[in-house]
Amino acid sequence: MTHRRGLLFWASAAAGWGLILWGVRGALHHHIDTRPAELTRFFIGGAVIHDVIFAPVVLGVGVLIARLVPGRWRAPVQAALLISGCAALFAWPEVRDYARVNHNPTSLPHNYTANLLVVVLAVWLATALVAVVAHRRGTS
Amino acid sequence: MRPPELLTTDPQLPLRQHRFQSPLRDERLAAWLGAALGVLFATCFVTGLFSHLHQHPLPWLPVPSRPAGLYRFTQGLHIAAGIASVPVLVAKLWVVWPRFLAFPPFRNVADIVERAGLAALVGGGVFMVFTGVANIAQWYPWHFSFTASHYAVAWITIGAIVAHLGAKWAITRRALARHRPALHEADPTLGTVAEAVHDGLTRRGFLGAVAAASGVLTVSTIGQTLPGLAPLALLAPRDPRVGPQGRPVNRSAANAGVIARATSPNWTLTVDGQVAHPLHFTLAELLALPSHEAALPIACVEGWSYSARWSGVRLRDLLEMAGAAPDAAAHVESLERNSIYRVSFVDHFQAHDRDTLLATHLDGQPLALDHGYPLRLIGPDRPGVNQTKWVTQVVVT
Repeated sequence: MTHRRGLLFWASAAAGWGLILWGVRGALHHHIDTRPAELTRFFIGGAVIHDVIFAPVVLGVGVLIARLVPGRWRAPVQAALLISGCAALFAWPEVRDYARVNHNPTSLPHNYTANLLVVVLAVWLATALVAVVAHRRGTS
Repeated sequence: MRPPELLTTDPQLPLRQHRFQSPLRDERLAAWLGAALGVLFATCFVTGLFSHLHQHPLPWLPVPSRPAGLYRFTQGLHIAAGIASVPVLVAKLWVVWPRFLAFPPFRNVADIVERAGLAALVGGGVFMVFTGVANIAQWYPWHFSFTASHYAVAWITIGAIVAHLGAKWAITRRALARHRPALHEADPTLGTVAEAVHDGLTRRGFLGAVAAASGVLTVSTIGQTLPGLAPLALLAPRDPRVGPQGRPVNRSAANAGVIARATSPNWTLTVDGQVAHPLHFTLAELLALPSHEAALPIACVEGWSYSARWSGVRLRDLLEMAGAAPDAAAHVESLERNSIYRVSFVDHFQAHDRDTLLATHLDGQPLALDHGYPLRLIGPDRPGVNQTKWVTQVVVT
């Protein structure tokens, strides 16, 4: 970030910060609904949890894959982990079934643990299939 | 101690390096992921504004009632784009994460401005995606209002994107425009070795995996609004085929606390406000009025929807019977007592649409209690939360 900044940088910074302040103003104006102190904790907390916990854990998994998985299988394992990890991340509140406190049987009507396993299994099978086909093409 | 010498596949660097450099953490990949995230977040922002306008109507900007399925499309798109952005956001933050450790973090005022904008971008991006995903799963690990907070932070996030766009415009254009030869083409000897050392996903493979992750999430959830794909919607929080009368609901009669009043023989509908003749109907009197049928979607703000046949009395017929003005709008009120959606505003376009009904039947059957028995509002191009259930009063304005 040491290169010189031109007009575009400062103009978009001014416009962007105008919008940011508009959002902050809205949050403060509707403080009974937004509870600014708690909102700030979630806003900052999300970034901190990502940068300090989530990202280093993902990096650690990446290092483990690089060390443990043979080069030929590394790419498909990385791809399958990325896809199934994202599915698990998304499905986490469904698997935990936090919505049961709302007593609405039409909300989260499925067995999401079983469904997530089906999705993850399908992802790994499809990735393995793609890897085998690509490997055969590469060696033929 | 001198660190071990390693080979790198980053074409920005000499092929021999003294530190590890993942071939995936480069500006071209960051630019592609940033562009994808920009499109997804902009889609969410525009469709979110449309939804906000529906729920917080502006007197000078009435929302037309046609096309009837517009809100179903825009809100389905809002949720689908938000879900698809989960892998893109995670991947983008992974690619640029080492910059988080850059030292010193800033050298001049412009660096401080850019860093502060990045903090807003990361905080806002994570907040929007996390609260959105939690909300559609009806998980509320907070005490603030989801809609008010999601809306306020949307402005913060879109502002941070605008600032970031200006800061990265030149780099992004350069990164996306330039063709990069594979390393074994650039340097057959060293390049081939470097590629072998970093065996794993290539840049193209990484982008493909991120796209596949977004695709898997989309395919496994979009069936909550596209009925043909419902059997594949393994991770969708709703199934448009599951619920009373084979349809889901967002709020049950038990949760709304209306069962006794909705099933009472003393239930009546009142039409009053700015009318020449206030009206009162029992359910039997209402059922004796001319009935009309309309095929209309229920489109929840949480992204699920279904289309059904509704029948009942036209709102515009009731307004005419009561002697309301030709451009009258109305507030439709529910038996609910403690809900922010107890009253629904129907602007003059929607109030006079031929398909805006106070419905008594769903798919030919009397409404189930959870669907709003004895009477619910249903109109074209409206969010589900504004299709008020357990209606008891129409106040003409």
